[in-house]
Amino acid sequence: MKTILAKVMAAAVGLLAVAPAAEAADPIKIVALYNLSAGGLASIDGPSLNGAKLKAKEINDAGGLLGGRTIEVTAIDTKNDLKDAATGAKRAVSMDGIVAGVGHSDTTFALASAPLFQDKGLPFVTSGATSPDLPDMVGGEMFLACFGDDVQAHAMAEYAYKTLGVHNIVIWTDNAMDYTKGLSKYFQDRFTQLGGKVLLNDIYMTDDKDFSALVSRLKANPDAQAVFASSGPDTAGIIIKQIREAGIKLPILGGDGYDTDLVSTVPGPDLSDDVYFTTHAYVGLDTGVANTFRTSYQKAYGNPPENAFAALGYDALGLVADAIKRAGSTDPAAVTKALNATTAYPAVTGDIAFKNGSRVPSKPVAIMYVDHAKVNLKSTVTP
Amino acid sequence: MGRRASWLGALVAAVTGAVLVYAASAALNPYLLSIIAFVGINVILAVSLNITNGFTGLFSLGHPAFMTIGGYVTAILILSPARKSHLLPDLPSWIAHRQWPFLASLLAGGLVATLVAVIVGFPVLRLRGHYLAVATLGLIFIIQGLAINLDGYTRGALGLNGLPELTNLWWIYGWMLLTLYVCWKLKHSSLGRTMLAIRENELAAACLGVRITRTRILAFALGAFFAGVAGGLWAHLVTLVTPSSFSFLFAFQLVVMVVLGGSGSITGAALAAAALTVATEALHPVEEALNLFGASQLLLAVAVLLVLIYRPKGLFGMAEPDLLAWIGKSPGRQPTHTGLKRQTEV
Amino acid sequence: MTGGYILEQVANGIILGSMYALIAIGFSLIYGIVRLINFAHGDIVTIGAFAMLASVAAIGAPFPVSILIVLAVGAGVGVLIERVAFRPMRGAPQVTGFIASLAVAIIIENVGIMTLSAQPRSFIVPAYLSAFIRLGSLQVRAIDLAIVLLAILLMIALAAFVRFTKVGMAMRATAENYQVARLMGINIDRMIMLAFAIGSALAAVAGLMWGSKYSQISPLMGLIPGLKAFVAAVIGGVGSISGAMLGGYVLGLAEVLFVGLLPPEYSGYRNVFVFSTLIVILLVMPNGLLGRSTDERA
Repeated sequence: MKTILAKVMAAAVGLLAVAPAAEAADPIKIVALYNLSAGGLASIDGPSLNGAKLKAKEINDAGGLLGGRTIEVTAIDTKNDLKDAATGAKRAVSMDGIVAGVGHSDTTFALASAPLFQDKGLPFVTSGATSPDLPDMVGGEMFLACFGDDVQAHAMAEYAYKTLGVHNIVIWTDNAMDYTKGLSKYFQDRFTQLGGKVLLNDIYMTDDKDFSALVSRLKANPDAQAVFASSGPDTAGIIIKQIREAGIKLPILGGDGYDTDLVSTVPGPDLSDDVYFTTHAYVGLDTGVANTFRTSYQKAYGNPPENAFAALGYDALGLVADAIKRAGSTDPAAVTKALNATTAYPAVTGDIAFKNGSRVPSKPVAIMYVDHAKVNLKSTVTP
Repeated sequence: MGRRASWLGALVAAVTGAVLVYAASAALNPYLLSIIAFVGINVILAVSLNITNGFTGLFSLGHPAFMTIGGYVTAILILSPARKSHLLPDLPSWIAHRQWPFLASLLAGGLVATLVAVIVGFPVLRLRGHYLAVATLGLIFIIQGLAINLDGYTRGALGLNGLPELTNLWWIYGWMLLTLYVCWKLKHSSLGRTMLAIRENELAAACLGVRITRTRILAFALGAFFAGVAGGLWAHLVTLVTPSSFSFLFAFQLVVMVVLGGSGSITGAALAAAALTVATEALHPVEEALNLFGASQLLLAVAVLLVLIYRPKGLFGMAEPDLLAWIGKSPGRQPTHTGLKRQTEV
Repeated sequence: MTGGYILEQVANGIILGSMYALIAIGFSLIYGIVRLINFAHGDIVTIGAFAMLASVAAIGAPFPVSILIVLAVGAGVGVLIERVAFRPMRGAPQVTGFIASLAVAIIIENVGIMTLSAQPRSFIVPAYLSAFIRLGSLQVRAIDLAIVLLAILLMIALAAFVRFTKVGMAMRATAENYQVARLMGINIDRMIMLAFAIGSALAAVAGLMWGSKYSQISPLMGLIPGLKAFVAAVIGGVGSISGAMLGGYVLGLAEVLFVGLLPPEYSGYRNVFVFSTLIVILLVMPNGLLGRSTDERA
């Protein structure tokens, strides 16, 4: 961790270095809105921003876009506060020369920021807000770089029913997060459609640390063959730990909120076992773009990508840059049109295509399996 | 300065403000406009909190709870029936089929907040000092919990989005003037003096026949009304209201504004609200350049500590500085009949 | 709802209560002496947890030694806070002290986020503490048992200190009437420092326990437990140490049983329940269960 003094000096040096460079061609301005300094989302927003900045740097190092123009990413911290998300977005769209915005890993924050981009006709690509209803709620400038929760929940429901043979399940939902509520709902819809039975729908809140009551109720359902514990990254590890500590050996299923190494480290190698979760298809692919991304991230930041959201941030920015390239200009309307026309952008998290006028990409879903704290790719589902 | 002259001074100030608002709306970009809008809302909040905390000496942290109530009520009333039935299935039909205009909805939001304040106030306002503070803090959590869990009525954690952006500088300016006017009138009325008396020495006030509980509840309710309205204005500025929109941290920031400005000073609270809103926002680009996210909150907290150590009564204490005398001419400095200068009003 | 299930819930309530009790004692100690609520208390819990992590991971000290380190760190931080934020506010109205402590809390939290990042971290306890122990029909982990025993040990030590030592008596005198205590020649400043040191040390240990039990810590983890422990202190009667202990266990049990015994639909109302309880207790029993009515409350 650098000291504050070092940071101030770095900023001063940075300012000095930038001054002469101001004569170069106009940079392409993209804004990134993330919760960097507060709240539970910082653990996924921070890596997302890192991913986005990495992609921008790579493009700039390779010569920039549109004949040598560099991409300039301005990061705005929305401080886990909706008002700051709105004013940050207002500030962003008032900046001269801004082309597009990326950001947010949570639907509620996307709903606070994106409408401002929509009003100004600027495209906004969310890296991690997975609600499939977002484009409908915001408008034609709203794009997702990630798959929708319906896709991942359906994939898990099918996997559970058909592959794991789970016909009776207990569902736990974090009632304080819209993401988890959506995930559980979509899971339940598909699971019951396939013929499965939900024995119990239990609730908790994000800050709860004590799941003993839910665990006991789970135990009181001896017919349950698995538990779908819909959770964000900060509670996933705790849930797994407490379920296993109680001696329950049922498979634990989850969504991309489980994509954090807390899932392995918090329960520990003995307890972090027999867990399946869906996530963006970069994790576990040891080939090609995923691997290159991993090594570059490690080199730039000194540690491997903390979770798939780093890759999503990388992809969101990459998608915007690709659209700018295809549009051949930085005119926001042209960029939006190019985004809509994306047919196969080779993202690290799986090819992005916006088909049939949808602005939610149909991307492959990776199903991961945790075996004694080791996370492995079990299968990839392409919708 | 006689009564009429001070009236004139206030009118001039109001008109000047209106001109500024007009100019700003025309000239400034949306970002700056939104900052000014939030300054206005924070002024409404700080000045109304001053009634509860400053005048009456109640230590209430409950403003965010009332903002949540006001924000949701206003938003629900404004939503079109189609959206209401889609988003909020459990709403009783007499609400679900109506759609109210902005002003009526704001008033409704304020009134519901006031109602809750009165209901909660009867039991809770018997407490003093810290206990009241934490009880009102608890109220924030209770309202948040209810908003999250009663999702048939409130749409739960996602909140209500896509609200029409009805709030503009004019609305905020108008409500701000109203709040300032009400507070000013209150402070210089016998009710206001009653509140100040309760704050200074409750026992003595009781001996003089002051109805303590009733006055406290009144102060609490009045503050809650404006907080509710401010919540409604806020919701239709950000176009989104969620259970976590108004947090305990926000309560802290409001209390800071009141304390820094001087508890009991309307001008102080207003100025402090404006200054703090602008300062926190101005620090954002600095934070981003240095990659030190969280620094602005840190600096604010440090500043608060310093002010509390070195100038514990805040900027103005309980006085209302005679700003109008600066705008007008020197006649403002004439002593009143009793020979006391207008400045000292404690 | 079998007997075994209820027993399990009660056990969980006692474990949670032990942690709340330790934090609540700190609140009461400080309040008893300076009549100020230290809002930064919850953040001392966080500091304790991180100190533990640093001690075990960075220095590699064995667990029991780390407990002592955490106690020391907690005491140190408490004294620092007293010096910086509370001493200048002495004599000022209550509100000022409250806000000052809120400011300190925000400072600590933001420094934590800036230096350590908001990412939660895992917190591993040594293997011998993760083992399961059978107590009759109940199965608990060694760490849970350790938490309860450590808490009881510390509480007994504190009670003995306060009752039987001269310094302890001096503290009690200061809490009762600090003007007269000063006249008796007691060094008030030192008593206040001591109260902060002890209270904060206990809070830091509670942080250690919290981290050990849930295996996950983050810079903002202490905020909610701190608030709930305040509720516990109020339930027991703020200013009374035994009240804080009792309040801690009452709250821990109430919280766990509320979620455990009511149907699942109500589990989301856990915090609503806790804070409503606060309000109800303040109204029905303004001095809490064991408090003395030394100052105006209602």
